[in-house]
Amino acid sequence: MVESMSGGVRAASSRWPIYVALALGLGVAMLASLTLGYKLYGLDEVWMALFAHDGSETATVIAGLRLPRALIAPLAGAALGMAGVMVQTLSRNRIASPDTLGLNAGASMAVVLATVVFGVGSLAGLSLAAALGALLTSIIVFGVAAGAGGLSPLKIVLVGVTFAGLAHAVVEIVLTSNEAQLQQLLFWLSGAFVDRPISLFFNGLPVVLVGATLAFALTAALDALQADDATAASLGVPLLAVRGLTFVAVSLLTGAAVSMAGPVAFVGLVVPHAARGLVGLRHRHQLAAAALVGAIYTTLADVAARFVIYPVEAPVGAITAVVGAATLVLLLMRRLA
Amino acid sequence: MSDLAIARRRMMTGPATIAVLAVLAVFVILFLAGVGFGSTWIPLDTVTSVLLGGGERTDRLVVLQLRLPRVLAAAIAGGAIAYAGYLLQRITRNELASPGVLGVVDGAALGVVLFLAIFSNESNALTVPVAWQPLAAALGAMTAIALVFLLAGRQASSAIRLILFGIAIAAVAKALTTIFMLIGPIYQAAQAARWLAGAVNTINWSEVQIMLTVLVPVGIVAGIAARHLPPADLDDVSSRSIGLNLPVYRIIMFLLAALLTAGAVAFAGGVGFVGLIAPHMARLLVGRGRVAGVVMSILLGAIILMGADLLIRVAFAPLEVPAGTVTAIIGAPYFLYLLMRKDSTNG
Repeated sequence: MVESMSGGVRAASSRWPIYVALALGLGVAMLASLTLGYKLYGLDEVWMALFAHDGSETATVIAGLRLPRALIAPLAGAALGMAGVMVQTLSRNRIASPDTLGLNAGASMAVVLATVVFGVGSLAGLSLAAALGALLTSIIVFGVAAGAGGLSPLKIVLVGVTFAGLAHAVVEIVLTSNEAQLQQLLFWLSGAFVDRPISLFFNGLPVVLVGATLAFALTAALDALQADDATAASLGVPLLAVRGLTFVAVSLLTGAAVSMAGPVAFVGLVVPHAARGLVGLRHRHQLAAAALVGAIYTTLADVAARFVIYPVEAPVGAITAVVGAATLVLLLMRRLA
Repeated sequence: MSDLAIARRRMMTGPATIAVLAVLAVFVILFLAGVGFGSTWIPLDTVTSVLLGGGERTDRLVVLQLRLPRVLAAAIAGGAIAYAGYLLQRITRNELASPGVLGVVDGAALGVVLFLAIFSNESNALTVPVAWQPLAAALGAMTAIALVFLLAGRQASSAIRLILFGIAIAAVAKALTTIFMLIGPIYQAAQAARWLAGAVNTINWSEVQIMLTVLVPVGIVAGIAARHLPPADLDDVSSRSIGLNLPVYRIIMFLLAALLTAGAVAFAGGVGFVGLIAPHMARLLVGRGRVAGVVMSILLGAIILMGADLLIRVAFAPLEVPAGTVTAIIGAPYFLYLLMRKDSTNG
């Protein structure tokens, strides 16, 4: 909690350069996402494709293939970053994230089951299924923890990871027994921004906005919750209601990210640490910074994925998994967890 | 040793022997059922007579060439992983430890996928003998467990922290495995994907032979080394003060467990949770004795994997669902149950 001191006293006015820098960074990252890749495009070609589409092949590739990922990657990253902040506050656990608590896996399982068992086909239906899956998983994981009389932060993570393993096994079985739908479903399971239709972005955007609005409405309560339950209660925070609403916000954000991009690993673990380092512990700022940092992070990871094993494209989830696991190791070694 | 302890040991001998015999009976029945069951049912007496050298030609072909390698591989792999799990749980004094959670299984899998990616030619054939595959798995497994320990450093005495480092290493290994599968030929990636989830259905005799050649000597060495395991009711400091459970000894045991896991994973794939459940059930059945614990763990591990494989053939035929999924669905809730029991860990 050393960072709380330096961050807490930092004057509000000194933060705006950080936000400006982050916004600029996001702009640069998105431009990189549009121009860099298997083929390199100039800024003039990007401008043409977006604002003066002339029907040429270049313009079609940029508008049809590059643009969706340049929009979906930051939106998913922002959603996972904010979800990560709330999960870490809720469990008072710096190694919690939508992944280590199994929420991503739960959302993926829900998408697969909704498709195969209930025959859901619409994008909106699958987004809803993903959010519900994340919500159910968070209730189960925290329920198991509470049922065991308040598990240590480390054990909650073990519960989450185990639950994720269970969800993966179910997905594996469903996929093996429904090979016809395999192609369609792998789309949601591989954790990537490539080949996503732009409709996914417009489908996910309102869900993320609702989740983010809810999150920002809860910032004061989350600040109080950061200390301990007794302090928060004495400050007049309705603990149960706040926890419940935070779960809903986390589930909406995680579900939206999974329905757009599949489970992109460990984004929600890494981003909150960077955000706290930049703007301190106030949730208003933590969430805003986490959204921007998350957006930049996934966009850059998506660009990197195009070059790691060039000319083949690596799944962005593999890149974020390596970075995230390394971060987890560092956090464990510094005993921050 | 106090009189009480001796008396307790005498009392344990009776029930323990009965438990071992009962589990042995289950093992034999599952083994015969596993060989008999399939697209055509072969009656148990025919199976027995084929195994003893008789039977008709078609029955002999099906039993000896198709079914037997698969069932044997399941038994060997399950037994080896359970043995590794037993050693890890005893040496870390924590019943949550297992080759899966310590990253050993995913490390071994990464080793195999790297091996396949490097030593395949254009037509997807291996350019080196398949017998080298366990070596690649062993290198991967030992690298993983060594990394877990090096990174954990002084925190290694807390099993929960060790497991979290294992989870991190496993995540890295999984991500790298995905990347290398993409680099490798497409056909091989499809093969590898199924194998990674833990499947014994494609194993042939030569692979069973390699598994045995690797695992039997390692198992014997581990058995000899296990005689120096400290008694389970002795804490870390006391056992070190009487010269047991020293750092070097711990490292040797970890490497032996990694080798046992690698020998199984090399051909049977990433079978999860067997190494966790089997030793735990063994302790429930026969108590904390070492010989009975090892024998029971191996038998139960074999039973779990053979049973999972049989269940898949009964429930999902003709689809080949990986056996690892069934063990994960049984094992994950079991792990959660262990986590929730408060005094079960030293986290």
